[in-house]
Amino acid sequence: MSDHGLRITNLRCQIAGKEILKGIDLTVDRGKIHALMGPNGSGKSTLAFSITGHPQYEVTGGSVELDGEDLLALPPDKRARAGLFLSFQYPAAIPGVKVANFLHAARQAERPGDLPPAKFRALLMEKMEQLGIDPSFMGRYLNDGFSGGEKKRIEMLQLAVLAPKYAILDETDSGLDIDALKDVGDSIAALRTSEEGRSTGFLIITHYPRILSYVVPDVVHVMIDGRIVKTGGHDLAHRIEREGYDKLREESAVVA
Amino acid sequence: MPSPAPVVAGRDHTTQELYDRVAALGPSPFSIEQRTRALDRFVSLHSGREKPGRFWRVDFESIAPEAGAIDLSAANVRVENHDPAVFVCDLATAARESPELFARAFGTTGIAATKFGSLAAAFAQCGVFVHVPADHACDDPVVIRYTAPAGAAIFPWSVVLAERGARVTIVERLEGGAGAFFCGATEVVTEERADVHYAAFQQVDAGARIIWSRAARPGPEARMSWASAELGGELAASHLSVSIEAPGAEANLTAIFFPRGSQHVDVVSTVEHRAGDATSETIVKTAARERGQARFLGNIRIAPHAQGSDARLRDDALLLSPEAHVDSVPALEIGANVVKAYHGATVGAIDAEQIFYMESRGLERAAAERMIALGFFEPAIERFPTAALRDEIRASLAAKLS
Repeated sequence: MSDHGLRITNLRCQIAGKEILKGIDLTVDRGKIHALMGPNGSGKSTLAFSITGHPQYEVTGGSVELDGEDLLALPPDKRARAGLFLSFQYPAAIPGVKVANFLHAARQAERPGDLPPAKFRALLMEKMEQLGIDPSFMGRYLNDGFSGGEKKRIEMLQLAVLAPKYAILDETDSGLDIDALKDVGDSIAALRTSEEGRSTGFLIITHYPRILSYVVPDVVHVMIDGRIVKTGGHDLAHRIEREGYDKLREESAVVA
Repeated sequence: MPSPAPVVAGRDHTTQELYDRVAALGPSPFSIEQRTRALDRFVSLHSGREKPGRFWRVDFESIAPEAGAIDLSAANVRVENHDPAVFVCDLATAARESPELFARAFGTTGIAATKFGSLAAAFAQCGVFVHVPADHACDDPVVIRYTAPAGAAIFPWSVVLAERGARVTIVERLEGGAGAFFCGATEVVTEERADVHYAAFQQVDAGARIIWSRAARPGPEARMSWASAELGGELAASHLSVSIEAPGAEANLTAIFFPRGSQHVDVVSTVEHRAGDATSETIVKTAARERGQARFLGNIRIAPHAQGSDARLRDDALLLSPEAHVDSVPALEIGANVVKAYHGATVGAIDAEQIFYMESRGLERAAAERMIALGFFEPAIERFPTAALRDEIRASLAAKLS
């Protein structure tokens, strides 16, 4: 299959009858980092959930293709197996399911039989060390009683272990201290260029430009009221840092 | 040959047949008179498991064995014990050769006061006595296995005496064919500082019925742990109870059950805090699927003088089908005022956000649901002794989920 990127075309989505996404166009190529910024309630998380197939998000128009494959026709698990990953803003706790067992099940689901147990364990240990995760987490129940920062680190661990083609990081930076942010940045940088020659394309959703000091984006998009109102380079993030979203909102209102 | 019991006015033919069977039994472990009185109680007492609603399929008041199926020689009893310091024998031998030890445990828990405890007493014949001497730690679990052939009714009675400072793990396994009927009892006495971990595991044939009463009496600073997994049978009813009569004792009760198809499970747990400064923790995990029905009644009673008691009760139920039904009834009676008492209960379906989270990691929906449901049981599974038994329970649950 040819490498067409994660191609989002005129995507529209509603929740409980209310239209949230009003025609999104965005293409993420492998190995590229896109930042999606925007104020609260602009539809960033809705975009993440509609791409990954959350049942409460009803796509009413447009298309999403992953390397040419129609993602919207697939259930969420097949989208993941096609190479899509979402780092959740609020990951679900799954009591009774140990982190190590879950990671193994996920890796097996996405790449059946690619690693014998011993090699999988070695991979896990290596990634955990890189992310500063204590080995005792392997025996803990997934996200059960974890702090906000611990949950985000475990999301990053899953990202590293699954090494997807495309990853959407939904406010992975929120609730992280500077050290953790730096680890996340290092993890993303490592993934971009590694893992069996595959490089991952990122869509990093954030309110704040802070994470972009650690992960330098190739492209920055600004979303306001369900539309992407501005696309630019890294300097766009700096502009938002200086000016906030109000000026862009005014400009987009004029355009609309 | 004992003469048949006199026919009493008002007894129907079926009940009279049970009295005739009792009259024909031997005197061990209960005398004929004790058996007859026990049968009187069985006939007259209510189960305390009344039908809570019209949808309930099982009427406990009408349950009785068929006299013709009562075949006390049919029961197969096997015991695995690798520790020569632990004394294991049948009840008649115990009563004959170690009457003093046997009497310290047998009949001391009040188990025969309930309807089905009485039924077990009326026909008790096969059984096992386990004695662990003072300050002896038995490292290998003692395994007691009761097997009933298809169609037979059997009435096992297990008795455990752990003397001061002794430690033992016992695994009781029930196996039965289609139409088998079990009505059993287990009594455990843990003397001062003794520690008994008693696990019961059954996955009998889908057409079998099991009713079992389990009662324990921990001594000062002793620990008693019941863990029960009721996974087979068309009907499984059990009562786990601990009566804390000495300070410093610790009671742990764990129950796992999972009715599916047309199975019905009814579990009652009772912790009586009759002495202070003791702790108890009850954890119950239930799932129900298809037309499976389950009821859990969790009793905690703290006597007025049992100050310093710490009692916790947690029960969670997972409904896996629209027609499945679980009734969960925690009941706390707290008479003392310096206590910690906690109870929490949940009944619900698998959380859609948990399923989506797992799907987003590439797991198919069915696999995600299975993993979440197995995880749901895990905090209870971890309280069962031996890694092999825990794995067996996991495999049995996984099979029920598939």
